[in-house]
Amino acid sequence: MSEPAAVSESAPIVGVIGCGVTGSRVVAHLVHLGYRVAAFDVLRGNAVSCTRPRGGVVVERVTDLAACDLVMLCLPAPHAELAAQFLRDGTPVVSLGDDLDDLRVMLGLTDLTRRHGTAMIIGAGMAPGLSGLIARYLADQLAVVDELHVAIHGTAGPACARQHHDALGGTALGWHHDMWIEPPGGSGRDLVWFPEPVEAHDCYRAALGDPLLLHEAFPSASRISARVSATRRDRMTSRLPMLTPPHATGDTGAVRVEVRGADERGGRVTLIAGAAARTADLTAAVAAAAASRMLEQGVEPGVHTTGCATVSSLELLHHATMLGVRVQEFTGVARATGW
Amino acid sequence: MKTIRRALVALSLAGTIAGVLRLRGKGGVPPQAGGWREVSVPPK
Repeated sequence: MSEPAAVSESAPIVGVIGCGVTGSRVVAHLVHLGYRVAAFDVLRGNAVSCTRPRGGVVVERVTDLAACDLVMLCLPAPHAELAAQFLRDGTPVVSLGDDLDDLRVMLGLTDLTRRHGTAMIIGAGMAPGLSGLIARYLADQLAVVDELHVAIHGTAGPACARQHHDALGGTALGWHHDMWIEPPGGSGRDLVWFPEPVEAHDCYRAALGDPLLLHEAFPSASRISARVSATRRDRMTSRLPMLTPPHATGDTGAVRVEVRGADERGGRVTLIAGAAARTADLTAAVAAAAASRMLEQGVEPGVHTTGCATVSSLELLHHATMLGVRVQEFTGVARATGW
Repeated sequence: MKTIRRALVALSLAGTIAGVLRLRGKGGVPPQAGGWREVSVPPK
């Protein structure tokens, strides 16, 4: 990462809601980039410990953040209601939420954003988030995009782990031959080779937000799927409450995106890329890059996803790499899988 | 006795079918060649 920028009195103020494992890393990035930060967390101690040492302020109520130049939602789902509240005040929002139902509701806030002349980037985490950025990066190398397949591994904080657990036990979503399919979570096993050091893991369908958001970004793709890594125990217990407490600080995660399509001469091409690091680090880098570029460059009113062409001018993937994301490309010959 | 025999037949049938599916089913095949290399993402 580059040298930290000096925080000036006139620097934009970013409001951060949720100062857990990911939120605290987001705050660190924002301060590093030279923004002033105001934070809120239901556990006030979390907000204090991650903000005060870096010169930020802690607010008593969420509504106090309406005066900020941008608000980031780093708390557990749902985000939609809170996002709508800020959008009504004309405050741009970046949401890290990955709950499928919540993402559906947030996509429906487009009219609200346009009425109030503001914008929101949703799914600005690892997956969705980095997955969309990598999908756009790969799709830009193709003339035609036919299929997008995302696989994810790892969780950021405890709330993220609970979300993954619930997703595996829920109803999955996929775009298959131009129609939505809803197979049961935990089905569709596929061995996925993630970037190093994560490497091979069995992955399964789950209630993940990527197909929904990637379809928004790539409406012409005929097949879009998303899978999450899981062990036998994860699958067996996915419909029960979590039996063991989630990892308090998260673990190493990875995202792998496979894009299939055609080049300019019509030849079939499959491109694969991904990234691996601590899940919270990947998530925070993408979220901070989204917030920073939104503030510096602005985005047209509406609800945007990271894979959308409407935000490609923000060069989010490049800025995420400046914040520590290492994009890796698969150099072998891609083979057909069951996808 | 009849029930036990039926159960045994059912179990052996299930085992045979599972064996056939296991042998003939397509499992995931890890890549035999290639690997990952870091790429730089320059600004456009």
